[in-house]
Amino acid sequence: MKIKHLLALLLLGLSVKLYAQKTHINGLIKENTTGLPLPGATVQVKGTPITSVSDKNGLFRMYAEPGQTLEIKFLGFVTQDIIAPGDEALFEIYMKEDTRILSEIVVTGALGIQRAAKEIGGGTQVVSNEYLNQGKTINPLTGLASKVAGLRINMYDSKVDPQIQIVIRGTRSLNRSENAPIYVVDGVPVPDISRLNPNDIESITVLKGANAAALYGSEGVNGALMITTKTGSRGTERIQFSNTTTFSKAFLLPKAQKEFGQGQNGIYDPIQSESWGPRFDGSLRDFGRLLPDGTQPQLLYAAPSEDNRLGIFQTGVNIQNDLSFSGGDESSTYFVSIQDVSIKGILPGDESQRTGARFNGSKKFGKLKTSYNINYIRFKKDMAPDGPWLAAYTSPANIDYSSLKDWLDPNSIANPNLYFTDQVKNPFFLLDNNRQSNKQQTLNGKIELEYEITPWFSALYRLGMYSSFDESQNRSGKFEAAGRRNVVGSVTDINDNFQRLNGDFILNFNKQIGRFSTSLILGQNFRSDNRKTVTVGASNLLLPDLFNPASRIGELSSGSGSSLTEYRSLAVYGEFTTGYNDYLFLTLTGRKDWVSVLAPSNRSYFYPGVSTSFVFNDAIPALKDSRVLTFGKIFASWNKTGNVTLQPYSLNNAYSQSNGFPFGNTVGFSPGSAYPNPSIQPEFVTSFEIGTQLSLFDNRLHFEGSYVYSDSEGQIFNATTSRATGYSTAIVNAGRLTNNIIELSINADVLHTKDQKLNLGLNYSHIKNQVKELYEGTSYNIFRQSYANVGQAYPSLMVSDYKRDPEGRIVINPSTGYPVLADAETHLGSMVPPFQLGFSSFYQYKSVSIGAQFDSRWGGWLYSEIIPRQYTAGTHPNTVAYDRQPFIYPNSSIELEDGRFVENRDVFSPGDKAFWDFEGKVQSNTAVQSDFFKLRELNLTFNLPPSLLSGQKIIKTASLSLIGTNLFIIRHKDNDHGDPEYLYNSTDGYVSFRQVPPYRTYGFNINVGF
Amino acid sequence: MQLVSSSNFTTTLMKSFNKLFFSPIILIALLSFGCNGFLDVNDNPNAPVSENLKLSATFPAALVASVNQETGQLNQLGALWGGYWGTTSEGINLFFNQKTYNGPGLRDVRDGFPVWETTYTTLLYYRLIRNQAAQEGALFYEGAAKIMQGFHFLRLVDFYDNIPFDEALQGTTHATPAYESGEMVYKKAVDLISEGIEDMKNAPAGTLAGQDDVLFAGNVTLWAKFGNTVKLRALVRQSEVSPLAYIQEEIKKINIEGSGFLMLGQSAMVQPGYLNSAGKLNPFWENYYRNVQNAVTGNYQDIRPTQFLLEQYQLRNDPRLNQLYVPVKGEFRGVLFGDPEVNHSLYGRNVTSPMKGPAENNGQAGALLKSSTQASVLLSSFESLFLQAEAAQRGWISDAPKSLYEAAIQESFSYMNVEKFLFTAYNSQESVAYDGSLAKIITQKWLSLNSISSIEAWNDYRRLGLPNFPNSLQSPNPTAHPLRLMYPETERMTNLDEVLKQGNDNITESRIWWAK
Repeated sequence: MKIKHLLALLLLGLSVKLYAQKTHINGLIKENTTGLPLPGATVQVKGTPITSVSDKNGLFRMYAEPGQTLEIKFLGFVTQDIIAPGDEALFEIYMKEDTRILSEIVVTGALGIQRAAKEIGGGTQVVSNEYLNQGKTINPLTGLASKVAGLRINMYDSKVDPQIQIVIRGTRSLNRSENAPIYVVDGVPVPDISRLNPNDIESITVLKGANAAALYGSEGVNGALMITTKTGSRGTERIQFSNTTTFSKAFLLPKAQKEFGQGQNGIYDPIQSESWGPRFDGSLRDFGRLLPDGTQPQLLYAAPSEDNRLGIFQTGVNIQNDLSFSGGDESSTYFVSIQDVSIKGILPGDESQRTGARFNGSKKFGKLKTSYNINYIRFKKDMAPDGPWLAAYTSPANIDYSSLKDWLDPNSIANPNLYFTDQVKNPFFLLDNNRQSNKQQTLNGKIELEYEITPWFSALYRLGMYSSFDESQNRSGKFEAAGRRNVVGSVTDINDNFQRLNGDFILNFNKQIGRFSTSLILGQNFRSDNRKTVTVGASNLLLPDLFNPASRIGELSSGSGSSLTEYRSLAVYGEFTTGYNDYLFLTLTGRKDWVSVLAPSNRSYFYPGVSTSFVFNDAIPALKDSRVLTFGKIFASWNKTGNVTLQPYSLNNAYSQSNGFPFGNTVGFSPGSAYPNPSIQPEFVTSFEIGTQLSLFDNRLHFEGSYVYSDSEGQIFNATTSRATGYSTAIVNAGRLTNNIIELSINADVLHTKDQKLNLGLNYSHIKNQVKELYEGTSYNIFRQSYANVGQAYPSLMVSDYKRDPEGRIVINPSTGYPVLADAETHLGSMVPPFQLGFSSFYQYKSVSIGAQFDSRWGGWLYSEIIPRQYTAGTHPNTVAYDRQPFIYPNSSIELEDGRFVENRDVFSPGDKAFWDFEGKVQSNTAVQSDFFKLRELNLTFNLPPSLLSGQKIIKTASLSLIGTNLFIIRHKDNDHGDPEYLYNSTDGYVSFRQVPPYRTYGFNINVGF
Repeated sequence: MQLVSSSNFTTTLMKSFNKLFFSPIILIALLSFGCNGFLDVNDNPNAPVSENLKLSATFPAALVASVNQETGQLNQLGALWGGYWGTTSEGINLFFNQKTYNGPGLRDVRDGFPVWETTYTTLLYYRLIRNQAAQEGALFYEGAAKIMQGFHFLRLVDFYDNIPFDEALQGTTHATPAYESGEMVYKKAVDLISEGIEDMKNAPAGTLAGQDDVLFAGNVTLWAKFGNTVKLRALVRQSEVSPLAYIQEEIKKINIEGSGFLMLGQSAMVQPGYLNSAGKLNPFWENYYRNVQNAVTGNYQDIRPTQFLLEQYQLRNDPRLNQLYVPVKGEFRGVLFGDPEVNHSLYGRNVTSPMKGPAENNGQAGALLKSSTQASVLLSSFESLFLQAEAAQRGWISDAPKSLYEAAIQESFSYMNVEKFLFTAYNSQESVAYDGSLAKIITQKWLSLNSISSIEAWNDYRRLGLPNFPNSLQSPNPTAHPLRLMYPETERMTNLDEVLKQGNDNITESRIWWAK
C-alpha cells in the first residue's frame, strides 16, 4: 500500500474538534487488569506546573484546557498521556503495570495465561516492543537476534524473503529441521510468524525450557516464543504512523584473486570463463567472439581496483509504512493496524511486498469475557532462483558487469547468443529469464470465550485458525540457441493451501486456602492440519513469454500432480500450582498426547514435569525491605517431554514415477530412498534446570543465571546410511544428545537521572552439546560434511585432509608432487559456535537516544562449498600463491621405503590447474573457524521535544531515527568465505554458493503519534 | 481528537467476523470430534506403497533405471577412459576430474561421479521386486530380478573391486554392510544369474510378463540367452587370473542349460515407449545430440572422437566412419583426450567432427543417432558375438572364432546402418581379416562398441592393455592410468571401517582383482 493510501485512511479516521475554554476535569484512575481504583497517582498538565493527586477512591479533579495533555504517573505503572476532554463528565483512566520491575513482572505463560514471573520455575525472558524493533526489522525473529541468552538466530541468505533458523538452548534433535520453538500468538500455536508485523507485537516472552512450555506438549520441547500482540487501552485513543526506509548493500563476498585472468594453461583465451590464463598485464584484449556487426569486443586485461563482482548487485531499498489505531471504553478495547512493507532486493529485479492488517478486540458481557483477533497478510515476491551470482565467483576478476546488462541487444556481448563463453551464462540474463514468484495470503485469527463461573473458577474456550494460500510460479523463458546457450522454456505452477485448527478447552481453578494459594488448570486440546498442494508444470513451452502449462509442447512435466497431507492430534493436560505465603511455589504438570502419524499401538504417550521457585528476599525477614537486594529468587525444574517429529505417511515407503514414466500406458514406479520403519516410537527429552534471578539497588541491576541440562533420547531422524543398504537414509529411533548449558544475563541502569539514562545489558550462553549414543556405530553422516559423532558436539565438521608425518609435515607423493591424502577424515569441531554473547547499550540524553546491539559467537567451524569451485576456476587466492609455477610444498616431507619421513627439498608440486583443482578437493582447505563479532543493530533516535509540538493540536509525539544493521563485522582471520551466521539447508556452519551474499542495511525511521 | 464512531466500527467488524469466519469453524471442529477415527488419517492418499502395486508396475522402472545407467553414466566414463572421446578446446573444462584422474574429485559427495550410489539404488529396485515376486510365487519376475542383480553386482566389482553382497540391500538390518572380495562377488553374481535363469524357465505359462517387460516382452529364452551372455562376459573378464578349470566348469553349466547366447538380431534393447516430449526422449539422444526443442546440446558441441579413434577407422577404410561422424571440409578431424592447451584452430568446435545424426545425414539414421525414440542398448548382439569369438579363440567354446568374429562385425555394420555388401571388401583387408589373434578381436570389438557400451573398452584395456590408445594428456604422470574408482565419500561417511579394511583404493594404484 502506498503512502497516499495510508494518508487517505488517516484523514477518514480523524476529525478535529477544537475547544478553547478551561473546564474542570473529573477523572477516575483505575488499575487496568483488576479495574480497582488507584489512589495516589499524580496528574500533571504537560508543560505546566498544574498537578493533582488521585484520592482513595481513585478520583481527581483539576482545571485544564480541553485538548491539553495530562500526564498520569504512578510508581510501578506505565506513565500515560491523555487528552483532556471537553466536558466535566467523569473520565476514566486505566493504568497498566510497568513490567520492567522484576518482582512484579507478569509473563505470558503456557496457554497464554498470564503468570507472575516469581511463580515460574524456569528461564524466561521478555523482549519488549521497543527493544525488538530497535533495528526496525521486517521479520520479528530477526529482531530477537542476540537479545536473549541461549537463543540463537541465523539467517539463511539475503533474498527478499530470507529464511530464519531459530534455536533455543541448543540442538535437541538430530533431525535438523526439528529444533525450532513453538510460536504462540495470543495463546494460539501457529506454524510461522515470520510475516507478522513486528510493530503489532507488544512483547515476546521467550519460554526457554520445555518445562515452561510443557502444556504445549511436544511442540514446546524446544521452548516457546509467546507473542502478545497489542491491545487497545481503555480511555486512550491513539493513532500512530511510522515510516522506515532502509537501504541494503551486499558485502562479504568470498575472496578472489586479482592477478591472473581468463584462459587455460597460462595462455589467454577470449572465450574461457576460468582464470587459468596469463598474468594481468594492462593490455587490451579480445573478449569473446566477433559480434554480428563485425566488431570485436575488447576488455582491459588488468586487475580492477574494485571488486567487480559487486556490479551484479544493486542497492536494495526497504520501505515500511505503519499505521495503527487503538482505544477502548468501559467494556471493550480495540487495536487496528495496517502495515505495508516493500523490499527491492540487492539483486536487480528481486522484490517483495507485504501488506498486513490486524484487528484485535475484546468485549466484556457481564461474566463473559470475549476476545478475538484477526490478522490478514498478503505477501508477494518475485525473485531470481539460485545461480546468477555463482557465475561471478568463478569468472575472471576483470569482467565489467556494467556492460553486460542489456542482454536483449542483438549486437551486444551481453546477448546470451554472443556471451563471451558458453560455459556459464550472463548473470543478468539469468536474473531476468529465470524467475520465482509467489503470492501468499495468510489469514489468522482466534476467538476466546472466558466465563467466570464463580470468582475462583472459570472456563475458557479458545479456537484458533491459521490458514495460508500460496500460489507460486517458477519459470524459465524459452531462448532458442545451440548448446548450453539454449533454454527450453519451462513453467511450474504450484498452489499450496494450508489450514490449521487448534482448540483448547481449559478449566481454571484458583483458591486461596490460608497461606496457600492454589491453582489448577485442566485442559483438552485438538489440532488438525490440512494441506493440499497442486503442482502443474510443463518443461517445453511454445512461446518465450507465455508461461502457462497449457501452451506447451509435449506432455506435462513429471512433477505434475497433487498432494494431500493431514496431521491430527489430541491431548489432555493439567497443571497444579501451589504457593506458600507468596514466596514459595511448586508446579506439577502432566500431559498425554495422541498423534496420527504413528502406528495406533505407539501413538499415545504421557509426560510429566515439576518445577519450584523460591522468592527468598520475601521469605527471609532480614532481607525484606533491603535496599540492596530488591528481589531474589531461586528456581529449579525437571521435566520430560515426548515428541514425534515424523511427517505424515512416513511409516511406509511410497513409490513414485521418474525417468520419464509413464510412457503412454507403460507405468514404472520406483520406491523412495528412505528406509521406512513402521514401529517408530515417540522420542523423549528430559531436562533439568536450576537458576536464580536477582534484582539489586532499587531494581537498577538485574542478574539472571541458570544451569540447564537436557537429554534427548530415542530420536526420530533420517539417518544417512551406506548406499549399499539400498537406501540413502533410514528413519530410525536412535541417538541420544545431551546439552549442558550455562546462561547468564545482566542488565544495569547505569545512569538514571531526569536528563540522562544509560542502560547496559549483557547475555552470555555456553552450550556444551554432546552426542552420547547413536543407533549403530559411533558416527552418522547428517548432510555432506556435517556429522553426528559419539562424544562430540552435534553437528561436527569432518573433512578430508592431507596425510601428515609425525612432525606434522604434509606428505608428498614423490612421483607426482601431489600431497598424499589421509586415510580417514579429520574432525575439526562443532559447526555451531558453543559460545554466544549479546551486548546491548542504550544511552539517552534528553530527547536523543542511541541504542546498539552487538553479537558475538565463537568456538565453531564452518565449511564452504564455494571454495572448491573457486579452486577449479582459478579464482581462489591460493591458486596464485606460487605464481602458477611448480613449487616445493611448504612444510612437506617424503615417505621413504622404510617408513621414515624426510623433509621434501626437491620434489616440486606442479602449480597448474590440475594440481590446484586437486587442492580444492582437499576439504580441510575449505573449512575455517566461524568466530565473529558484529554490530548487529544501531539506532539513533531524536524525539521531538513537547515544546516544538506545542503550537498545534494534531501531532502529539514525533521522533526521527537513524538505523543500521550489520554495520561492521570482525571474523576469524582465516575466514574470507562469507558471513558465518548464514546457513544452508538447515545445516549450521555450511556455506553454499546458493546463498545470496550477506548485506548490511542503513536508513531512517519517522514515527508520529496523533 | 477522536476516532469517529469507533465502537460502531468495532461491533460491525466483530459481527461479520463471527458470522463469516468462526461459526463454520466451530461446526467443523465439533463434527471432527464426533468421529471416532479422528486420528486415523495416516494412510497415504498421494502415492502407492508396495502392497498396492503389481510387479508389472515396478518392473519397467527397474529396467529403465538399468539401461539409463549403462547408456548414460557408464558409457560416458568408458568413452573417456576407453579412448573414444575427448573434448573441443571450447569444452576444455568438461570432465576435468576424468581427464586428470582426480580420484577424490570423482568420489566427492557434492560434485562426484556416483556409480556406487546409482547402482545400489537400482539393485534395491530388483531386490524389492524379488521379495514381492517370491511372496507371490511370480517366478518370471523373481528370475529376471536375479539376473539383473547379477548384472549390476558384476558391474560394481569392475569399478570398486570389494563390495557388499550378502549384507547389501537390507536397510538397517545391515546398516553397515560388510564387504566381500571382488572375486567372491563375481562367483556369487554368476551363480545368482544361473538361479535366475532356472526360476524363469520354471515359471508357469500365463504368469510371464507382457509388455511391462520392456526388455524382452516376456520371452524367457531371450532372458536366458541374456543371462548366459552376461555370465560369459564375467568369465571372459577373468581370463588373465582365474584357473581354467573354474571357467570350463561354468561354460559347461551354460552348455547344459542350453539356451546359448544372444545371437544375430538378438540385442538386449530397452524400449519403454520413448516419446518426443521433454524428459521422455531416448536419454542418449537427449544428452548427446538434441533436446526436445531440437537444439543441439552442449555435449554434442563439445564431445569429439579422439584422433586415435578416427585413425583406427581410417586405417581400415572402415565404412562405419562415415555413418558415425560428420567430416569437416572433407576430413575427419578428432581431438586429444585431456589436452590442457586451448587450440581453437586445431581442436575448436568448428574444425572437428561431431557425431552424425539424422539432421546431418539427410534425415537418415546415423550410426548411433537414429531417432529421438530409438531403443537403448543394454547388451548388444555384437558384443555377445565378440565375447563368444574371444571364448572360442581361447578354446573355451567349440565354435569357430573366425565366423563369430565376422558375424560380430556384420552385426555392428547392421546396427550402424552400413550397407551389408560393404562387409566383404572390408573383411578382405589384412588389417581386418581374422588371423587368430586376440588383438584383432579386441580392436574390432572396440570399434564396434564405440559410444554404445564404451565401458567395455576401459574394462578390456585394464584386462589386456588393448587397444593401446593414448593416455590422457593431463594424467598426473605419463604412466598413470585410471584403474578403478575410489570408494565414494558417501560410503566413507557411513561405512568407513569397511572402506579402510579394503586398503589402498587410489585410482591409479589399486587394481580390480581380475586386472593384470
